[in-house]
Amino acid sequence: MPGPPPALHVRDVHKSYRARHVLRGVSLALEPGTLAGVVGENGAGKTTLLRILSGQLAADRGEAVVRGTLGHCPQEAVLNDFLTVAQHLRYFRVAYGLRDTHRAEELLEELRFGEYRHTRAGELSGGTRQKLNLTLALMHDPGVLLLDEPYQGFDWETYLRFWQVAGRLRERGRCVLVVSHLAWDTGRLDVLYRLREGAVEPWRPAPVPDPSYGDPSVAVGASR
Amino acid sequence: MRQAWRRLTTAVGFALLEHARNRFALVLVVFYIPFWLSMVHWFVDPAPSRFLLRATGRTVTVDAGRLTMISGALNAVTLIVGFMMFMSTFKSLAFDRRLALAGYPRVPLLVAKVAALVLASAATAAYATAVICWYWDPVRPVLLAAGLFSAAVGYGGIGILLGAFLRHELEGMFVIIMTSLLDTMLQNPVSNPGASKDGVQLLPEYGPTQVSVAAGFSGAVPYGHLLLGPLWFAVMWLAATAAFGLRTRSHLPKAPPVPAPGRADLA
Repeated sequence: MPGPPPALHVRDVHKSYRARHVLRGVSLALEPGTLAGVVGENGAGKTTLLRILSGQLAADRGEAVVRGTLGHCPQEAVLNDFLTVAQHLRYFRVAYGLRDTHRAEELLEELRFGEYRHTRAGELSGGTRQKLNLTLALMHDPGVLLLDEPYQGFDWETYLRFWQVAGRLRERGRCVLVVSHLAWDTGRLDVLYRLREGAVEPWRPAPVPDPSYGDPSVAVGASR
Repeated sequence: MRQAWRRLTTAVGFALLEHARNRFALVLVVFYIPFWLSMVHWFVDPAPSRFLLRATGRTVTVDAGRLTMISGALNAVTLIVGFMMFMSTFKSLAFDRRLALAGYPRVPLLVAKVAALVLASAATAAYATAVICWYWDPVRPVLLAAGLFSAAVGYGGIGILLGAFLRHELEGMFVIIMTSLLDTMLQNPVSNPGASKDGVQLLPEYGPTQVSVAAGFSGAVPYGHLLLGPLWFAVMWLAATAAFGLRTRSHLPKAPPVPAPGRADLA
């Protein structure tokens, strides 16, 4: 009996910027309930790949198909500096057509930035901006989630909470693709790809000591 | 229908809030306009100046200082509103794209910009008219405000188009400043009193200049010229809609959704 159709299916995607061939035939398929990673050096084309997968950029050749709702957390926090955190949630609640902001409120508490609810985005620290950036991508509980360097600027405690959130999404059948230039914490992923010379290949990095598991509440620097 | 209304009111509300919180633009409006017009009052010689008022078909002889003040007010409101709309469209393009990809229809997002533009133009034009009235009494102050308003909306439309089309901040600022300067210089009643060359009608400030000068010195109401500013706005806005649509569209093909395993557990 065939398995479920992939939630994210990428077939032979090519992309060039003038003479520079960034992607030369990227293919991958991720089933629902998968926590996957794509790593690659700076300039390898990770962000280009995510921009194609999120629909912001057209591939020169090939196809990317997303089944279900999509959430995208861009590398640079895309926010409106004049609006508060709560106003961002209201704006995106209308965009996603949600009845309430219940899930967003949960994320505010999980990522511990509820106290900034009435602060304008322009006045938030880099880490808190990134938390809001992530919340906007997650608040409609998407079936497929694309995260571009999602833990940039996070402190250690928030970093661990991020992985807890990602793990719960996988348990609930969501497909999560994390793109990063760092290949650490790969043990948390179901599958890891390496983007190199314009193509992705399954990758198993050499084992490294992994200090990152554990309960964030007992992490060094955790607030009590 | 209810959802469409909610999308429109939400976008308009946040667009207005964004402009109200833009302190730089507010400072520019409050201080630049009186500063500029006061400079004209103090430095321009009030000698008689002849100007062909195409709106009435007659040549009028008026105070050059007052004529320059009208020209200066047109230059100030077009620069401020054009620059304001360019910056807000340019800076929020990535955010608007994110909203559009999240499912927000583009039309309410663009209509919200128009609502902000209309309010900003009305407030700026009314304020500039009040400053002019502080120094002298135009014949028809309300028509003068309407002329300045039509100039502001025309340049606001240009600002929205540049904001949706250009990729660099400096390009937009340069284009708006140079267009407004050239436009004002070419129609300036003092530097070009005849305004007689064919083609001057094609400039964005032509209609507003004719209306404003007529309002300042005559009892005529040139309705046709009053529509030229909004016409410029409409053409620019349509082009901006196309540019905005192109830059915020999704390239992903539609695919049938699959129920994720465990989805039922959420209920």
